[in-house]
Formats: sequence, structure tokens, C-alpha cells
Amino acid sequence: MMNDRYIVEAGYHSINHFGEELCGDRVEIVKPDEDTTIMVLSDGLGSGVKANILSTLTSKMLSTMVANNLSIKECVKAVARTLPICKERQVAYSTFTIIKVSGDMFVEIYNFDNPTPFLVHDGKIVDLDYSSSIVEGKTIYHAKYHASVYDTFVLMSDGVKYAGVGETLNFGWDLPQIKNYVANIYSKYTSSQGLATELVAKCDALYNARPGDDTTVAVLRIRERNQANLLFGPATNKDDDEMMLSLFFSKGGTHIVSGGTTSNIVSRYLNKPLILDLDYVDKEIPPTAKIEGVDLVTEGIVTLNKVLVYAEDYLNSNALYFDRQYNLDGASQIAMILLEEATDINFFVGCAVNPAHQGEDTHINIKIKMKIVDELAGLLKRAGKNVKISYY
Amino acid sequence: MNVFVCVGSSCHLKGSYRIIELMRAAIAEHHLEDKVTFKATFCVGKCGVAGVSMKVDDEIITGVTENNFDEVFKKHILAKL
Repeated sequence: MMNDRYIVEAGYHSINHFGEELCGDRVEIVKPDEDTTIMVLSDGLGSGVKANILSTLTSKMLSTMVANNLSIKECVKAVARTLPICKERQVAYSTFTIIKVSGDMFVEIYNFDNPTPFLVHDGKIVDLDYSSSIVEGKTIYHAKYHASVYDTFVLMSDGVKYAGVGETLNFGWDLPQIKNYVANIYSKYTSSQGLATELVAKCDALYNARPGDDTTVAVLRIRERNQANLLFGPATNKDDDEMMLSLFFSKGGTHIVSGGTTSNIVSRYLNKPLILDLDYVDKEIPPTAKIEGVDLVTEGIVTLNKVLVYAEDYLNSNALYFDRQYNLDGASQIAMILLEEATDINFFVGCAVNPAHQGEDTHINIKIKMKIVDELAGLLKRAGKNVKISYY
Repeated sequence: MNVFVCVGSSCHLKGSYRIIELMRAAIAEHHLEDKVTFKATFCVGKCGVAGVSMKVDDEIITGVTENNFDEVFKKHILAKL
């Protein structure tokens, strides 16, 4: 949290060398205090388990040491002395890029042997001004920059540069083309992880889905905070519905109402009709509805269960990114709001037991509801969101 | 005549999607497009009953399934037009 209005958002995406189970690239993100975010991208020599060990050690050590304000010289020395030496190649080697944002949006980048990080400012590519120094025989490039809101820093492993070698391109593409591509797909509405995923997807396409190298993009940007509020279920005590709804609607930002009974209550509260869509855009997910004054109205438990699947995917392979992005069913729309757009999420959870759900023929009960909320909130926190839950 | 098929959680799990498909086809087959307004609704409060819930004007019909759909359509819609 930089201040009340802005927040640092870091995200990344990787694909593995074709046929490898483990990625040799590694990204670590740490927030030692409210004002500081550190992200380290490391690419270990080779691929598979050896590379994975090298890059994990490097990124973990560097992020921890930088978080403790050690100088870059000390950090690099410590890493150089720790990395195991590869028997075949007789070297201990792992690249790194460190980006550190501290209070007042002051950004520092250190780069060793990864493609040179660049910046998107006002939708245009800006090259940073690097100076070089030699530490332990390694040339390390260093840039300092006073960032403004929506400045977006792009870090890469060399798998990005070599995308297409041996498949669709003779020499891969190079930084100028990569920058061009990023400028074209950039939107301030795309999250850091979203931009990283889109760029890696392009690399994967150039590789014909057979990456010749581990390929990672890590993005860090400064963005405005954005609040989303999700109402799920009527209050345990009917008399509390009104209070719950007045608190819900007093919040700024996006308002999502989930649940059939819940939307009926909201419709009565706002005195606006609940209009349902007959079209199932996805057979698995009940249609959405509309109430004037609410941004999104969906069915409850089935829809949120799918949102949970999306949130899990977001934190793992992010393989469903393009589904979330382009599908129009209720779950994809909620996932987009919570995962891509929002930085702060408030859950208003009504704990009423729906008497109609207690029959033998339904598989819905209050425990499942609470479990979905707990798990979803947990995943969103892991995704770096500020999450608050209030129960009624 | 207004016909609503419930797409709330419980009915969804019991097959609303299929009932909507059948209803659309039945309305088309009997050329009722001008006589029947077909919509979806959220929970009508009868989730405990097997099958999907429907509302025909103000009457709630429960337990609609793929198997009894034709019967329900005849009795509650065709017969009342």
C-alpha cells in the first residue's frame, strides 16, 4: 500500500522449456513494509531441476537481502558464494533482475544478464537510463526512476527474446519487436499478471507451443486502487437485511450481488425490477440478471464455485486467463472484477439458511457457502488483494 | 401468458438449462411466440422439491423434468391458452 489512492501491483507468468516439469525461471515478490515492494526474476543456467534450484536460491536470497537493505555488492557476493557449481559446465550461474519500489514511487532496477527491463509510460515505451558497475566480475546495470501512476515495468527472462527460434523464426524476435508488441497490447485496465500472461502467450505461439527455453515475464506497475463489493446471501436475521444492504451500497466501487434470493431482496430494497437473462452463455453457469443500480447480478453458489476455480487457476498456471477475459457468463465476469480490476474487495456475507435448500434433493447447504467464501477470500489475499469479510 | 423457468442455484443443478431448451422448442413448435412471454427467474422458493420449478403467470409448478416436460407443457400452458 503506497498510500490511500495508489498501490503497487506485481504479477508474472512463466512457461517451461518443452518437456520439463520444473521451470528454471523464478520470480519472488516480497513486501517488507507497507511502502516497499521488491520483485526478483532469476533465470538459472540450463533447464529443469538444476536451473530451478539455481534460480530459486538466487531469487530468494536476493529478495530477502534487498528487503533488509543490504547493498547490491553484498547481495551479489553472497549469491556468488552460495550457488552450487554445475559439474558439466564448471560454473555457478543464474541471471537476475531486481526491481524495488519504495515510498514516493521511487524505483530502482538492477539487472544482470536478463534482457534489459523497460517501462510503459502513458502507453508508450520508455527506455530507462542504465549505468553499469562490476561486482564479483559480473556487469550489473542499475537504473533509478521516479515513477508516476500507471507506469508499468516489464522484466523478462531470455526465453522471451528467443521465442520462435527453431520454430517460426530464425533468430527469435528482439527487444524492439517485443517493446512494440507490449505497446500494442498495453491497456491500463490490464493487470500486471494479465499483461505478463498475454506476452508469454505470444511467446508460446511463436514457439509453436514447444518452448525452447523457460520463458517468464514479470510486470510491476503502480495503479489506482479500485474497490469491489460482493453481496452473497440474505442476513441470518431478516431484520438485518436492511442494515446489511445500506452498508453494502454505501461503499464506493463496483457492486456485485450473488444469489437468487439475495437479488430479490436487493430488488425490493432499491425498488427496481430484477430482470433475468434467459440465455445461458455457458451451460454450466446460470444466466446473469440486471437490477438498476447494481453492476452485476448473478446466481450464487454455482457461479461462485466457478469463480473459485478461476481464482485457483490465477494463482497457479493461469491457463484460464483468456477464458476469464472473454467469456461473458456470470462467473467469468465476477472473476474479471475480483482478479483483474479490484485491489480492495469487501464481502458482505448473509448467513441465512435458505429453507428451500434444505430438501433432500438439493446439494446446497450453508457449510458449502461459508467454505466457498473462506477459500475465495484466502486465494484473493494470496493474489495480493486487500480483503474484508463481514457476516450478517 | 408469462412463463418463467427458475435458474436459481438448486434448479440450475437439477437441469434448468435443458428445460429452457425444451420450452423454447415447444413454444416454436406450437407457434406460441405471440401468446407466450418466456423468461427466466431466480429462486421461487421451492428448491426442496425434485425437478425444476416454473411459474406460469402466478401459478408455481414444481418438479419439472425432461421426462414429464411434455405433460407439464400440455397441462399448464397449452390447455390454458
